[in-house]
Amino acid sequence: MSAQTAPLTEEGRFRSLFDFYTTMVRTAIAAQLQYRVAQYFYMLGMIAEPVIYLVVWSTIARQHGGAVNGITAGQFAAYYIVWTLVRNMNIVFGAPFWEWRIREGRLAGDLLRPLNILHYDLAFFAGWKFVVVGLWIPIAIGLSAVFHPDLHPSALEIVVFIVAIWGAYFVRTMFQATIGMLNFWTTRGAAIFDLYMATEMLLSGRLVPLRLMPGWVQTLADFLPFKWTFGFPIESLVANMSTRSLLLGLGAQVMWTAIGYVLFRFAWRAAIKRFSAVGA
Amino acid sequence: MNTLRVGWLYFRIGVLNELQYRVNFFVQLLQALIQVGTGLVMLSLVYSHTTELNGWQESELLTLLGVQILLGGFIHTFIQPNMELLMQDVQQGTLDYALTKPEDSQVLVSVRQVRIWQVVEVISGVILLFIGLSGVQGSIGPLDALAFVFALGIGAVLVYCFWLILTTGAFWVVRMEHVLELFEGIYQTGRWPVGVYPGWLRYSVTFLVPVAFAVTVPAEALTSRLHWPTLLLALGFAALLFAFTRWFWRFGLRHYSGASA
Amino acid sequence: MSEQSPIVHVRELTKIFKVPEREPGLRAAAKSLVRRKTRDVRAVDAISFDIGSGEVVGFLGPNGAGKTTTLKMLSGLLYPTGGEAHVLGHVPSRREREYLRRMTMVMGNRNQLQWDLPALDSFELNRAIYRLRRDDYLAMRDELIDLLDVGDLVRKPVRNLSLGERMKVEIVGSLLHRPQVLFLDEPTIGLDVTMQKRIRSFVAEYNRRHGATVLLTSHYMADVEALCKRVIVIHHGRLLFDGALASLADEFAAYKTIGVVLENGAAPLDAYGEVIHRDGDRVTLRVPKVETSRVAARLLSELQVLDLTIEEPPIEDVIELVFAQSR
Repeated sequence: MSAQTAPLTEEGRFRSLFDFYTTMVRTAIAAQLQYRVAQYFYMLGMIAEPVIYLVVWSTIARQHGGAVNGITAGQFAAYYIVWTLVRNMNIVFGAPFWEWRIREGRLAGDLLRPLNILHYDLAFFAGWKFVVVGLWIPIAIGLSAVFHPDLHPSALEIVVFIVAIWGAYFVRTMFQATIGMLNFWTTRGAAIFDLYMATEMLLSGRLVPLRLMPGWVQTLADFLPFKWTFGFPIESLVANMSTRSLLLGLGAQVMWTAIGYVLFRFAWRAAIKRFSAVGA
Repeated sequence: MNTLRVGWLYFRIGVLNELQYRVNFFVQLLQALIQVGTGLVMLSLVYSHTTELNGWQESELLTLLGVQILLGGFIHTFIQPNMELLMQDVQQGTLDYALTKPEDSQVLVSVRQVRIWQVVEVISGVILLFIGLSGVQGSIGPLDALAFVFALGIGAVLVYCFWLILTTGAFWVVRMEHVLELFEGIYQTGRWPVGVYPGWLRYSVTFLVPVAFAVTVPAEALTSRLHWPTLLLALGFAALLFAFTRWFWRFGLRHYSGASA
Repeated sequence: MSEQSPIVHVRELTKIFKVPEREPGLRAAAKSLVRRKTRDVRAVDAISFDIGSGEVVGFLGPNGAGKTTTLKMLSGLLYPTGGEAHVLGHVPSRREREYLRRMTMVMGNRNQLQWDLPALDSFELNRAIYRLRRDDYLAMRDELIDLLDVGDLVRKPVRNLSLGERMKVEIVGSLLHRPQVLFLDEPTIGLDVTMQKRIRSFVAEYNRRHGATVLLTSHYMADVEALCKRVIVIHHGRLLFDGALASLADEFAAYKTIGVVLENGAAPLDAYGEVIHRDGDRVTLRVPKVETSRVAARLLSELQVLDLTIEEPPIEDVIELVFAQSR
């Protein structure tokens, strides 16, 4: 073989991965900034949900001497305003979008490149987050002015919060990706996703702070990954958790990310087998 | 009236088309169940911590939820598909097909499409409504029932006008779809009595995005809270809005035809 | 003559798809929910061939013949149902990293680059994905940009490029890692003639400079004629012809068609050639290739001819002849 047809020498694995992530984050920011108007409308529409919950629970709190299960109106406000940030931060490449990816032929291209497919999504949505945080700040200021949240986090809580929102991001990516594999077998996955999302809503702390749920629900939530994608990050900032619980929570996120990843690997292998058997 | 006949014809075709996709029925059923389920969970949670919310008992709020889902189903069946198609037509320049037909263009773009399987949502709303009513103290007189149907009709008109006005905006601001995406989120405010919302929000969901009128007024009729002035206000508002919608649509059309390449 | 083993080695490669069968109507639809009837479709049927280093081979065949399926099996996107395939010593369906680094597949009309950003940004991403050293990457990138003449296009967002321009930058993106094997699936589809020529000359140049092995599918005869000395004809999943392009045309397409519009369409034309179509005053004749100009001259001088066109036989007809003759 002539020297010209020999393959090019490789750069180090970690160096390349680092380059990939920084490049992807950069391109995601550049791309998403072009859509900031659409982004804003989407975020504005999204705050309707927590505002409604907030208003309802504050009303109840006021009717019952200021607090429900020990949570005051001000604390509800804090919970649901932080909710808006966490909600935006745990947006990942959702399960339904796998159908688009398969149908548009992008999956074939991704399969032909020597990179684990999760890296594309993790990197892209991570970059997107930076745009989101920027857009979120005025919304947070506006909501705080209206609803007067009661929020005094300690330095440790802020640090844990910042780590926890990324932990939530990883956990959610793994599980959404796993569920997304269903698209390799059916185009009608929408119904199952809705079921999954409804379960997530109820058991993650998205609908209400988990403390307000009946005891058996709270126990159930402890054994499922949902709580660590939503409720835990929020409460790490607003609920005055002990240092021990904060650190245990972070550990739980690591554990659930690992579990989710293992599940994904199994599901992915089966999905690719099917894809390679029946074609796009 | 010819308008009614045209509407009926389109409805029939739309239904026949949709009926082919039987799987959609099961998907819709599941989605309706999920929606009802989560609504009920929220309600029971709220009432596990209180006995009444803004003066509304649990069954009364269940009735409100039923009305909201019922009307939501109506929107998803009849209104939303047409408005989405209209938006698409304006963006892609294919509106001309609709405009060159001899029927009144507003009627046409409003009845062209129907997502018949969403009717499942309407039915689930009605069921919830009856379950709620069965727990409400005091019976429903024929006058209340009449007021309810009337108020529901007004609500439907209000929502229709709102959607059409916004979609007509697409003649000028082509990327209107983002604004429409907000609707689903804001429509959720209809699940709760309008009195819980702070002042500015209350006015917004009454006049700006007429969710409160559309959902709360019929529910008030069923739970014997409706005051005549409110109903008259709703009627007046609807009439005004309808007139404005029609004018705005014509105005938008003139602009569209003038600027058409 | 080198003694190397072939770059692409295929033996009895087969791909069978199970296609659900459903009859129209309500009853059949209800039954199909319970019992699924499937039909076996042999997309690729026991084909065998070897391709050596640096060859440019064209896969010819009408739509649905099995060309793309074959390429997908060789690139690793599809598992074969039977037979074996080896490319560069690897089994493609295992999709080993080492293999993916040395090959590339370009599919016509498919977007792999980031839509909203200039192509240059997507190239950077590919650099990281393929773990290229910066200087290797820059050298290759600039060479490709130069060869395809896309210097001013790579800074524009990909969505602002025309179809042909997009195809060119997609090609740059897929070759940055200097693959040794190129699978090109309908690379010129949907492009205008100038762009098709550009891409063809690029592929030829890339092959010349880097000695890459190229497998190209197309249903445009022109693509294959411009690039490939060797063609493989596939029809209904079967390999019908594997050899030099020149002999394909000579053996199986030894005729041309002459279309005439006559003053008097009813005139007998059997003396000139085989009449394959008559529509009022328009007649289509099939004549042996060597006699084409002679027959045309006779037609023009002996009849009242309003219009006359001479055409190559369409590829589908050639294939049909190949198929018929190979029975």
